[in-house]
Amino acid sequence: MNRKFSANASFFGQRQDRFNQYQPARPLEEKIALIASVEGLTGVELKYPADLHDLDHARTLCDDHELIIAAVNVDTKDVTRFLHGALAAQSAGARSQAAARLREGMDVAAALGVNIVTTCPIADGYDYPFQVDFVTAWGYLIDTVRSVVAHRSDIRLLLEYQPHEPHARNLLDNVGKVLHVCAEVAAPNLGANLDIGHSFAARESPAEAVALLASKGLLGYLHTNDNTGDGGDWDMVSGTVHFWHWLETLYTLDRIGYDGWFGADIMPKHIGPAEAYAANIRMIERMSALIERIGFDTLTGMIQRHNGTLTPFDRLLDLLVAAP
Amino acid sequence: MNKLAIITAFLGGLRNRYMVYQDARTLSEKLAMARQVIGCDGVELCYPDDFESPADLRALLDQHQLGIAAVNFRSRRTGRWWRGSMTSESATERQEFVDDLRRAFDLAAELGCFRLTTCPLNEGVDGIFEADYVRLYDYAAETLAAACAHHPKTRLCIEYKKNDPRARCLFGTAGETASFCLWTGIANLGATLDIGHAIYADERPAQSAALLAKSGRLFYVHLNDNDGRWDWDMIPGAYHIWEFVELFYTLRKLGYTEDWYAFDVFAKEHDTIETFNAVMSLTRKLEAITDRIDVNMMEALLAERNPSRTIPYLYSLL
Repeated sequence: MNRKFSANASFFGQRQDRFNQYQPARPLEEKIALIASVEGLTGVELKYPADLHDLDHARTLCDDHELIIAAVNVDTKDVTRFLHGALAAQSAGARSQAAARLREGMDVAAALGVNIVTTCPIADGYDYPFQVDFVTAWGYLIDTVRSVVAHRSDIRLLLEYQPHEPHARNLLDNVGKVLHVCAEVAAPNLGANLDIGHSFAARESPAEAVALLASKGLLGYLHTNDNTGDGGDWDMVSGTVHFWHWLETLYTLDRIGYDGWFGADIMPKHIGPAEAYAANIRMIERMSALIERIGFDTLTGMIQRHNGTLTPFDRLLDLLVAAP
Repeated sequence: MNKLAIITAFLGGLRNRYMVYQDARTLSEKLAMARQVIGCDGVELCYPDDFESPADLRALLDQHQLGIAAVNFRSRRTGRWWRGSMTSESATERQEFVDDLRRAFDLAAELGCFRLTTCPLNEGVDGIFEADYVRLYDYAAETLAAACAHHPKTRLCIEYKKNDPRARCLFGTAGETASFCLWTGIANLGATLDIGHAIYADERPAQSAALLAKSGRLFYVHLNDNDGRWDWDMIPGAYHIWEFVELFYTLRKLGYTEDWYAFDVFAKEHDTIETFNAVMSLTRKLEAITDRIDVNMMEALLAERNPSRTIPYLYSLL
């Protein structure tokens, strides 16, 4: 199975957490050059507005480095406009600005020849009980999404759920709620960007999330990564913690015939983004090779066999031990 | 009654990985803000940030009549000590940590403060096989022993925390911290019990207090709350009212009564002074609920271990 790998350009610049800053700030030129230097990366996900103040320049940079623009990631969080929410804000003004930002992102994507816009609505959440009126907030969220996707049918809006951060809980915090929003809005150009780490952080089995989203034709993009599964969205290299779950996810992606991009959010910390992304691709390719060695049909047979739960582990471990 | 302090870092710039909520403030601005918070008795100072000019610091503390609960030694510094300070593989970095901690001991003592607290946030790992745990503990024991020997009268508190910014910090729980302190046998090394850290490490704060006190290592207490999933640094009692009451009741039994509570509460998008006014007032209210507990009645209920009697009794106090 040939995978298409793309990188989230934001992770090639300066990163920060609550306690530390990592990596120098890099201009778009440097970020694109670094991304292009990573073996296996053929695509890039650009942030709007941060990376896309000059569309012609961004397009030329990507062309020069033979990178395909895989998606436009629209930022719907900031402290000036969306401090108290964006798509589901109590303030009509904030909701209107969030919708406008997303529509602009769709236009930008179209101008760049990309048909995917993704957004992670993390400005919409809450810390304390009684902080948000859920009855109105959920109506606002769905109305805003509906108004955005109606803007143009040639661009697909993909919602990325995340259980928490920067709030203790985000409104769109699990796969079930994405399915709910998509069902309510019922627009053909609405779908999901599944961040595998967010799924782990939400205590899900990502393979199940893949299957659920695919059953409704909603899976449009992936953010690959891994974490410790105790809530922290550490953006680690895929498979370094949840090796078996990652194998199951890759198998399930093949099973549903996913042929989209394998994007990635990988935290470079002090390792550096190029090395971190290269390791991520190698891990995914090696895990994919393991599935190929066991044989897709053989694995399917093992999974579907009654009382056969442990058989795939035995066989996969045999192959791992025998690996060159 | 314990006095109430604010950690100065929470009066300055506030950020997480997505947002910058509040801009940085000068020490003078931070201490002036602390003075405006109703019910605030003092501050926990941060080293090195607050110690650019110890003379100015002392003058500001006098001017605002603020007590010092402790000095918080920052064991992680952006741009250096990337792979830990007290447990760095580099002997040079470990020595830098010891030297700097000794300086902090001296500066604290000059202010009449004999308690240092440090949260070893960056001591730990993200991935498996990233570090040799056996060596990490040895490094921590050596560096902390060397620093603590410098000023035996000053108590150094390890503020344990499960994770962030590392996926797993070396000192993650009360048990790990108590065990480490007892193993090293360093008399002036103990723990800061941060209630939020205990809650999201799946601990019962009162139990953690008891364990640390039994080990002779309950040196200091930080108050804040969260939803049990992450260290959100929320207003005490926002999620765990009865856990706080149980903690306060237990701390009184353990004799932690004429000391300090320090708050690390993240004001985020809300007004900082308003947030800390709520923090002070709610803490005193949680203490007031604790005051209503009839000790003889509660001791009898604890001996019975029957929740169908204890929980209704607690609710009868409201």
